[in-house]
Amino acid sequence: MSRPALARAAIVAVAWLALATFPEWSQFWESSRFATGIIRQILIFAIFASSLDLLVGYAGLPSLGHAAFFGGGAYAAAIAAQRLGTDELVVSLGAGILGAALLALAVGFLAVRAVGIFFLMLTLALAQMVFAIAFQATDLTGGSNGFSAVHRPILFGIDFNAAGNLYLLVCVTFLLVLLLLWRITTSSYGRALVGVRENERRMRALGYDTRTLKLSAFVLAGAIAGVAGALSSYEFRFVSPNDVALSTSVTGFVMVLIGGAGTLFGPVLGAAVVLLIERVLPSQLPAQTVLGIVFILFVVFARQGIAGALRRMVRA
Amino acid sequence: MTFEDALQQALNGLSFGALLFILAAGLSLIFGMMDVVNLAHGAFYMLGAYVALSVTRATGSFWIALIVAPLALAAFGLIIEPLLLRRLRGRHLDQVLITIGLSLVIADFIRLRDDWGWGATVRSLPFPAGLDRSIQIAGSDYPTYRLFVIAFSAALAFLLYVLHRRTRLGALVRAGVGDAQMLSALGVDTDRLFTLTFAVGAGLAGLAGVVAAPVFGLQPGMDIDALIYSLIVVVVGGLGSLSGAIAGSAVVGPADTFGKVLFPQFALALIFAIMALVLLFRPTGLLGRVRIGR
Amino acid sequence: MSDQNDLAAKPGSHNRMSRRAFLISTSAVALAACAPATSTGGNPASSAAATAGKALKIGQLLPFTKVYAELGNSMKRSTDLYLKTKGNRLANRPVTVIYEDEANDPQVGLAKTQKFIDQDQVDVMLGVVATPIAYAIRNAVDSAKMIYIATNAGGNALTRTTNNCTPSCKSPYIFRSSFSSYQISEPIGEYMASTKGVKEVFTFVADYGFGTESQADFTTGFTKGGGKVTGTLKAPLGSADFVPFVTQLKSQPTKDIYSFFSGADAVKYIQAWNQLGLPAAGYKMYGAGFLTEQDVLAVVKDQANGAITSLFWAVELDNPENKSFKDAYQKEYNLLPDVFAVQAWDGMRALDEALQKTNGDTSDKAKLIAALEAVKFNSPRGAFEFDKDTHNVIQDMYIREVKTVNGQAVNTISDKIGRVTDPGK
Repeated sequence: MSRPALARAAIVAVAWLALATFPEWSQFWESSRFATGIIRQILIFAIFASSLDLLVGYAGLPSLGHAAFFGGGAYAAAIAAQRLGTDELVVSLGAGILGAALLALAVGFLAVRAVGIFFLMLTLALAQMVFAIAFQATDLTGGSNGFSAVHRPILFGIDFNAAGNLYLLVCVTFLLVLLLLWRITTSSYGRALVGVRENERRMRALGYDTRTLKLSAFVLAGAIAGVAGALSSYEFRFVSPNDVALSTSVTGFVMVLIGGAGTLFGPVLGAAVVLLIERVLPSQLPAQTVLGIVFILFVVFARQGIAGALRRMVRA
Repeated sequence: MTFEDALQQALNGLSFGALLFILAAGLSLIFGMMDVVNLAHGAFYMLGAYVALSVTRATGSFWIALIVAPLALAAFGLIIEPLLLRRLRGRHLDQVLITIGLSLVIADFIRLRDDWGWGATVRSLPFPAGLDRSIQIAGSDYPTYRLFVIAFSAALAFLLYVLHRRTRLGALVRAGVGDAQMLSALGVDTDRLFTLTFAVGAGLAGLAGVVAAPVFGLQPGMDIDALIYSLIVVVVGGLGSLSGAIAGSAVVGPADTFGKVLFPQFALALIFAIMALVLLFRPTGLLGRVRIGR
Repeated sequence: MSDQNDLAAKPGSHNRMSRRAFLISTSAVALAACAPATSTGGNPASSAAATAGKALKIGQLLPFTKVYAELGNSMKRSTDLYLKTKGNRLANRPVTVIYEDEANDPQVGLAKTQKFIDQDQVDVMLGVVATPIAYAIRNAVDSAKMIYIATNAGGNALTRTTNNCTPSCKSPYIFRSSFSSYQISEPIGEYMASTKGVKEVFTFVADYGFGTESQADFTTGFTKGGGKVTGTLKAPLGSADFVPFVTQLKSQPTKDIYSFFSGADAVKYIQAWNQLGLPAAGYKMYGAGFLTEQDVLAVVKDQANGAITSLFWAVELDNPENKSFKDAYQKEYNLLPDVFAVQAWDGMRALDEALQKTNGDTSDKAKLIAALEAVKFNSPRGAFEFDKDTHNVIQDMYIREVKTVNGQAVNTISDKIGRVTDPGK
């Protein structure tokens, strides 16, 4: 490892440790644990946004249906746990990942043949069909009233019903997902994805099977979104069609753009900004207006999102 | 379904498609000419409807609103394009973010303007006098306003076609859809042309807001519905061409209406199923060329 | 570590450092500013020690954005008015109300509920318009032993005993001052069949949980009274165009149509109903009361005339409480109150009455629950009390017909079904 790389790894390790121990060192001034809950939610959405960034930022696949895999994973995790009558983390998380990946395989198989806005609209359309199923298949999903019988899981006897344990679960998963995405995007596979984004024809001429490449990225991103969905079902102990809805897809998309598409930490920061505005900002302030103005300001002043701006600041 | 029912539903589908055409025309123009997916299109539509509501209240005339609201939205477009969009040429993701931001601000502005008689309450624009009754078609009542919408939409399509084919602006637009860089190399002031295009597109969104308001009503969330409908029409038809918008609305309107009658259990996602079906068989839309947004 | 994957740098992006640096630092400050806001929780023991005289904290979770925004506005107006008439004190405790927007999203609703519980440490909670959000927050409220009065969400399960608590179930901490879908749909079904002699009905409802539930409850009541439901049509919630659906209503022979729609859907339905000439063709409209509430009548005017609906209140209801409520509301806001305002008003009133019995004590939950269970008063809707078993409101249902009176389309009361109690299972 080169020295700068080592330094960066050290910074990341320290930052993560600070994050993971937040409930410990914050309790003197944040005894209510509300902030801890919000951070859990931010990290869950950060996983979701990061998975979407693999498509939008790296592979150049602007998916507007990514909530199908977030919500799909949440439903799969919740339904599997209920039907199999177990609270084992391995079962529900596994079902969430598998369900989301299979769904992504089906959607991606149909969608990756289209490009640009046609891809965007095709993913939107197919995700809306997933939404319709979630909304109407009352026996399976609880329909529009949502799925409320979600238990928090256990693993090796660790009960994630305790909020502190759940926080650690989310933190560790977040780290693992980020490391995985870092490995992917810096590998030759990741570079091939960027190549497809930049010039698909050339990649094909170089002998790459670009359609399979895109489909694999789509399934991978879907599976990771499924992880976020499963975590969300533990966090809220509730899954609703909203988790599959267009609004959630748009939220994820916006998190990627505002944080900086094609960067590893951008979507994390984007998730933080959007959720803080939507869930923490006092209700007297018009959150939608604030959100809209923030979007506009970011495009005008902070090109390539927060991550891009930070990087320029560091270089300056 | 009896023949009378089928005829009625055909008229329903046709008038729905006619509204969709008005709704999608501006989006299609901006997309074709400027290579910008204007996600604030739905918000412009919504703003047009609320401006029409205020104008109708003040003047008592739907027809004045039909002129004023599109002009107001066009003026708004004249300001917005140079202010926000000009610098983003070719940066699709930034265009997406900024137009979403703009639409959030517009929709929230409308929600908060209770004092203008806007706000979050359900509102409705009354049918214009003379078009507020029903006539007998095939032994059954049918609202005249919906027939007016069909005629109006057809006239608009014809007008746009003539402008497109017979005027200098139309020639520039046709050339611009082909290759804006070439136009610029030939000495055309593309900045001005784009601003003008955007203003016309915004004006068309405002026009759709007026014409659709008596049918679809005015309420929070109408911007998103309208945006999705117009995106679907534009994508199904094939991007950025007038004929594409016509083809898209002619297919989506009736298909959605008959689909709801024949397969009521799929009504919720039907319009998306139609779009997916078209795109699966024609990945660039019905009349789409291969040129895509990059 | 991801430089090589960065989007290609664009020309002109390197010459505005200072302004960007400024922006970043200001947004960092903004983020930091959010953090202290999450840290004002204070000592968790303080809520247990809260007694008479100390400020009473009320959390109101209402929609202020998205489709139900106006319902939230109305309920906030009525809450503010109630407190104003009481000099901002309940049971001699000064009151702070914290309003939060649930944005019609269960996740957001739950996050805000958690804020009420953890950070604000409110003494009681009220509100929620959409049933899925009430179901979503049910467990959080129950496990935190937070007294919560639902002031709209009418899904039956919220105050019932259900299998595995799916989709929701009653809780000792949850009361409901609004209605259950059973109350607004089942009695009118039986009434139509047995009292009005309607033999056959076709149902047309919004295709979502509450619409389906209302349809089922109506069918139960109507069948019990000896009637027969000949068919059902469903329209997606928020359909843009109702004409294709109403065309289908017209192409089937049953003339009596029972519906559940509200807000914009109700408006479009009633307009399509008239445009396609259903009244002249002999069709008759029935429904749960939201179909013809003021927000709808204000838009459709006399187009809904003749429609018969059931609800636990109408603006025209003639009793002293309703009169003074209407007068006060109109004086304050220059607006007629709607049914949502009544629900929120009664939620506050019930809380007020209970607090008076506990001398303002909110720390002893069992005592406050018992006090709420014993609450009895005359509301603008008539006699109001909670069912001790389910905590759902027991109330009269009025049969109302839309007529034009003095140039205004209003719901005139034609009959009353007394003391409707939700069966609780």
